Amino acid sequence: MEKPSPLGFGLGLRPVYYKDIIGKNPRIDWFEVISENFMVPGGRPLAMLERIRNDYPIVVHGVSMSIASTAPLNFDYLRALKALAHRFQPEWISDHLCWTGVHGINLHDLLPVPYTSEALAHIVDRIRRVQDFLGRRIVIENVSSYVTFGESEMDEWTFLREVAERADCWLLLDVNNVFVSSFNHGFDETRYISSVPVERVVQFHLAGHSEAVTHKIDTHDQPVCEEVWSLYQKACQRFGPISTMIERDGNFPAFDELMAELDRARAIAAAVSDETHENAA
Amino acid sequence: MTLAELQARFQAGIIEGDKTILASIADSRKTDRETLFAVYYDAYRFRLAEFLSNDFPVLRDFIGDEVFGKLVEDYIESAPSRQPNARWYGASLPDFMAETLAWRKNLRAIDLARFERALSEAFDAADAPILSVDALRDIRVEDRPRITLEFHPSLRLLDLALGTEQIYDALTQGDELPAAQNGKETILFWRGDGQACYRPLTSEERLALLEARHGLPFGDICALLAFQRNGSDTILQAAGFLSQWFTDGLVTHVSICD
Repeated sequence: MEKPSPLGFGLGLRPVYYKDIIGKNPRIDWFEVISENFMVPGGRPLAMLERIRNDYPIVVHGVSMSIASTAPLNFDYLRALKALAHRFQPEWISDHLCWTGVHGINLHDLLPVPYTSEALAHIVDRIRRVQDFLGRRIVIENVSSYVTFGESEMDEWTFLREVAERADCWLLLDVNNVFVSSFNHGFDETRYISSVPVERVVQFHLAGHSEAVTHKIDTHDQPVCEEVWSLYQKACQRFGPISTMIERDGNFPAFDELMAELDRARAIAAAVSDETHENAA
Repeated sequence: MTLAELQARFQAGIIEGDKTILASIADSRKTDRETLFAVYYDAYRFRLAEFLSNDFPVLRDFIGDEVFGKLVEDYIESAPSRQPNARWYGASLPDFMAETLAWRKNLRAIDLARFERALSEAFDAADAPILSVDALRDIRVEDRPRITLEFHPSLRLLDLALGTEQIYDALTQGDELPAAQNGKETILFWRGDGQACYRPLTSEERLALLEARHGLPFGDICALLAFQRNGSDTILQAAGFLSQWFTDGLVTHVSICD
């Protein structure tokens, strides 16, 4: 099982930054695009993606696969996703370890899963079916969560590892989500990172969050905080070179500020890499 | 409890405010389960409201933040999203307004919602290569009465309350709102160069375009227009419409019917 090669340092592609990207060739190695934004019949978003795809590798990242839902898999959605992937040839397709609704409703949120053996078997089965349908391994991301279910039988990191190994999928480790959930649930974020299987992780997310005093909320509308940078360094030490990107979905700063965050990620990863080589020597 | 039962309860907690799910949730060390579950309850409403605000910014300006907030609240209560793609969530808002007691008499607001919805639909419609007016050069003059046209998938024609376009323009340009008017107007929507476009149609162009979309040949459209205008010569007028449709980028195919 060979992991896809690292893509370097990327950004979440958002329309507000098209003007800073198209024709400017900023120092970005790749882009992550939200699948649903491009699962439309036609128009400017697809035309812009064509232009960007000509110059950069992309990965597609969805929010509506609802892999943990007990509702039937939505094959209309999966067909549209497969067509999008066929057209734009992303390096990989990712979505979240969550559900988004049942009974035909979509709550447009990344809803939490109880860490039970029933949920584990259900999710593993669905990931396998999706992978069969798409004809490729998919990438599953850990989400931020705000509630702990009494029904849970294992830790989140154990559940995540079991999902990846049993379904034979890749993982997208969202470092901010680990930090947010560790604060909300009171677990040790370092222990989480050190329990995720190295051979499964192909991508990191970095993002900001909001503070609500008693809990933190994953809003992607703030700069990456110091604690997350510190956790990212630990993740680099454990996982080595991994495709890394910044997610920003609100309170959009000047493009240069995102580029500065990306430079900081590069610098951290480079320092860890140098340190690793020195230790090896 | 099974996973299916837990998800049904969780969803009922978000949509209906049902408290049953709280029995499955633990307090954290810092706060209670009600506060934590409220993150999901609030995010659901906030997110759907954000989709609607993004899709109907001019309607929001027209009726004001407070009234728009109430409209959004009513719509969310009546219509949970059934689409994986949030872009379509607001598609039924104009119909909801037209069918709801509190809104159905506010025709200007309803038609402004229709106007903005048509812009969104034109923006996202399927792609198709458009023809330039040069496509007509290859057609012999004697065959031209028999030409039929196919149009770009983004094309929309809406009959709206008179003044809807003026209200939209005034609000987007920061001008004074026009006085209420009685009557109807027809607005053509399409996508040009990646952007949603619109313009008003005269009653003659409306008739010509409606019939052209139904596949009526150009000669028959001229005859219809002549009938409307008591037999006066309308070929030049119809030719003007045809030329404008090509200029706008509305025409995707020209053929000659038998």
